[in-house]
Amino acid sequence: MLAQFLIHPPIQLGPIGPELVLTGTAIVVLLGAAFNPRIGHSTLLLVSLLGLAGAALVSIGLWDWGGELTVLAGMVATDRFAVVARLILLGIAAMGLVYGYHYFRRSGEARAEFYPLVLFATAGMTLIAAAADLILVFLALEILSLSLYVLTGISARLSSVEGSMKYFLLGAFSSAFFLYGVAMAYGATGSTRLSAIAHALAGQTGSLGLALAAVAFLGIGFGFKVAAVPFHMWTPDVYQGAPTPVTAFMAAGTKVAAFAALIRVLETSFQPLTLDWTPLVWTIAAVTVVAGSLIAIAQTDIKRMLAYSSIAHAGFVLIALTAAGQDGISAALFYLLAYALMVLGAFGVVMLVSARGEGRTSLASYAGLYRRSRLLAGLLTLFLLSLAGIPPTAGFIAKVNVFRAAVAAGHWPLVLVGVLASVVAAFFYIRVMVLMYMQEPQDDAEPDRSPWPRVAVAVPAVLTLLFGVFPGIVLGVLDKAAILRW
Amino acid sequence: MLSEYLPIAVLATLAVLFGVASLGVSALLRPNRPTRAKLAPYECGIEPARLPAGERFPVKFYVVAMLFIIFDIETIFLFPWAVGFRQLGLFGLAEMAVFIALVFVAYVYVWKSGGLDWREPAPRRAAAAPPTALEPEAREVVRAG
Repeated sequence: MLAQFLIHPPIQLGPIGPELVLTGTAIVVLLGAAFNPRIGHSTLLLVSLLGLAGAALVSIGLWDWGGELTVLAGMVATDRFAVVARLILLGIAAMGLVYGYHYFRRSGEARAEFYPLVLFATAGMTLIAAAADLILVFLALEILSLSLYVLTGISARLSSVEGSMKYFLLGAFSSAFFLYGVAMAYGATGSTRLSAIAHALAGQTGSLGLALAAVAFLGIGFGFKVAAVPFHMWTPDVYQGAPTPVTAFMAAGTKVAAFAALIRVLETSFQPLTLDWTPLVWTIAAVTVVAGSLIAIAQTDIKRMLAYSSIAHAGFVLIALTAAGQDGISAALFYLLAYALMVLGAFGVVMLVSARGEGRTSLASYAGLYRRSRLLAGLLTLFLLSLAGIPPTAGFIAKVNVFRAAVAAGHWPLVLVGVLASVVAAFFYIRVMVLMYMQEPQDDAEPDRSPWPRVAVAVPAVLTLLFGVFPGIVLGVLDKAAILRW
Repeated sequence: MLSEYLPIAVLATLAVLFGVASLGVSALLRPNRPTRAKLAPYECGIEPARLPAGERFPVKFYVVAMLFIIFDIETIFLFPWAVGFRQLGLFGLAEMAVFIALVFVAYVYVWKSGGLDWREPAPRRAAAAPPTALEPEAREVVRAG
């Protein structure tokens, strides 16, 4: 029986097609640059973007997958949730690559390794969105984390290397927590497969304590990755130290990927324990939105301010998770999509205002930006409005959906906390707008005036407005994707 | 359930006892005639050299150590495959070929980017991308390679 299985293993590689395309492209780009060091970076960018497009096409092909629910010995899920999460992640990676190509060429730190590293990280992110086994979740988490540690330190600046080191140490620490949680889940249920864990937990109560400990430890591991309070300490230093395009890619990508995995783990394997983990998520969500919004007020650097704002946004996604089921998942997916767009856009503008490399990231250097560049000031205003959740932007619809789902699940006190935190958060977003429009420039530093990066930043701006005014065009797709099949 | 761990506990106790006993017995029985060579630490037959304080190693040792680990892990996968070679058949052979090819990519990358070049490296990267006028903050450059 065993021998037969080994000779004819039922292998279906289709559902990991996007990851195969991504890693294949990454290897081609890596070796291409190693064999021909004089190769133009525009060629590397083009090949990488083609790889992302190929992976996106393969993902779309999986939308109507008619085969089994999980393939490769139950490791990989084939549902539409994975497809949508992958498409969002591939879009984020494309923006990150375009930003990075421009940024590193201007700062004179261009390295060919940037492109394969982003592709490898993306492969980890898309894989984690489809992982149906805790071991594969861990593997994908490491693929994306290890690539991101290197990307954070890819610039030779001291702060970049420092951020990389901090990220690595705390990331390794959180991975250990996660792995310990996997071991406990195995101890409690005898399997690491999400569906098997759910069946075991639904049937027995003997090792409930161990299962709850597993939820807690896995929660800590995910808490680090999504930067939820109190596991957020690394975020501001890493976001500030990393080169701005890497920050944009990491802030958007890691959050979407880690939340996709967290949603799948909580809503499938630990679904029988929903009543037990909901108070946990409830508390972390409340603490995260409040702490993120309050600490952001005290920041004087825009990258640190956006880092704390991203912590607060992790809290809003957690609010969606307290509403278990399709409504919560759909609201969380839309929130992640909107968050990815506005954070990519905001960091894109930060990159252009810095003009070359890092520097000019203090809030004071945004004084009078309107006089220097109306376009950049306008774009940043749009993204900040969306981050604050003010109509007619995608951020507003996202917050409304999240709050609606949470209220429907009966968590109105949490929604109250969320609304109050949004009011606090609006203060520091609007402060930047006041600086840009109502104050005189302090120096005559010019922002980056290259045309193509501006076009790139305009893409998330257009989508933020589009999804803010006509959310229906994606909500239908997201609703269909919000059913986890396992 | 704990009784399953009894053999491990017995083994651990025996190992400790054996180590302590053999050291103790030899200390009692052996003639004690130390020489300089006998007291020197054993380093694979190479004469040990004490490094001056603050001595630095070339960072290249690190790359070699990383490569060693890559091939080390490759061997870990090769052993079970060799044991089950007949059962795994052609499928196993193809899988291993793919695996080894992927490991080889890392090796080729290190080789081509000069990681195995032990001479003082020609700063190829630096020449390809000269640091342009950086902001004052960015000037605190650390040499990382």
